[in-house]
Amino acid sequence: MTLDHLTLMGLDALLIAVFFSFLWKRDRRERWHHFWKVFAALLVGAVALGWLMYPFPRG
Amino acid sequence: MPEAGGPRETRLAQRLPLPVLMLLAWLVPGLGHLLLGRRLRAAVFCVVILVGFVVGLVLDGELMLPHAGDPLSYLAAIANIGNGVLFFVARHFDLGQGAVTAPGYEFGNTFLLTAGMMNLLLVLDTHDIAVGKKDW
Repeated sequence: MTLDHLTLMGLDALLIAVFFSFLWKRDRRERWHHFWKVFAALLVGAVALGWLMYPFPRG
Repeated sequence: MPEAGGPRETRLAQRLPLPVLMLLAWLVPGLGHLLLGRRLRAAVFCVVILVGFVVGLVLDGELMLPHAGDPLSYLAAIANIGNGVLFFVARHFDLGQGAVTAPGYEFGNTFLLTAGMMNLLLVLDTHDIAVGKKDW
């Protein structure tokens, strides 16, 4: 499978967001709200962390 | 305190001792919720964990076992074994050997570990529903 990093990260974020919205929230509206919150937090958080680490050298 | 399990609990779940119910919940993702009558959530959890596990294998992730001298491998092994029967079936067919040189190796590991940990959370959720801590 050759998918780019962002797509794979998005897929993982999607699975996690679906999982926790069904685990923690009871009704449909709450679940949607929680899903988008977790999904966005994972995606934006990962990109932001990547940018923050950018100045640091490898190794 | 709400009634343990709730009215949707199946007869089988009522007869099963709690540790057996939790064992079944671990072995087959979503089975604990199914036995407790939470069909929608059982289906969603099963699909999410199955997709995560299969993607992990397709990306050449590794189903890790503990390595002496590598403490983190124990944690990884617990998370991977958390996948229940999926882990044992994959190991039986020599899947999940992990190709370190494969471009998707690290991503594959992430998917496998995530799926396993989510399934372990389901075991705890099954417990909470069965004892009445969670009434939905």
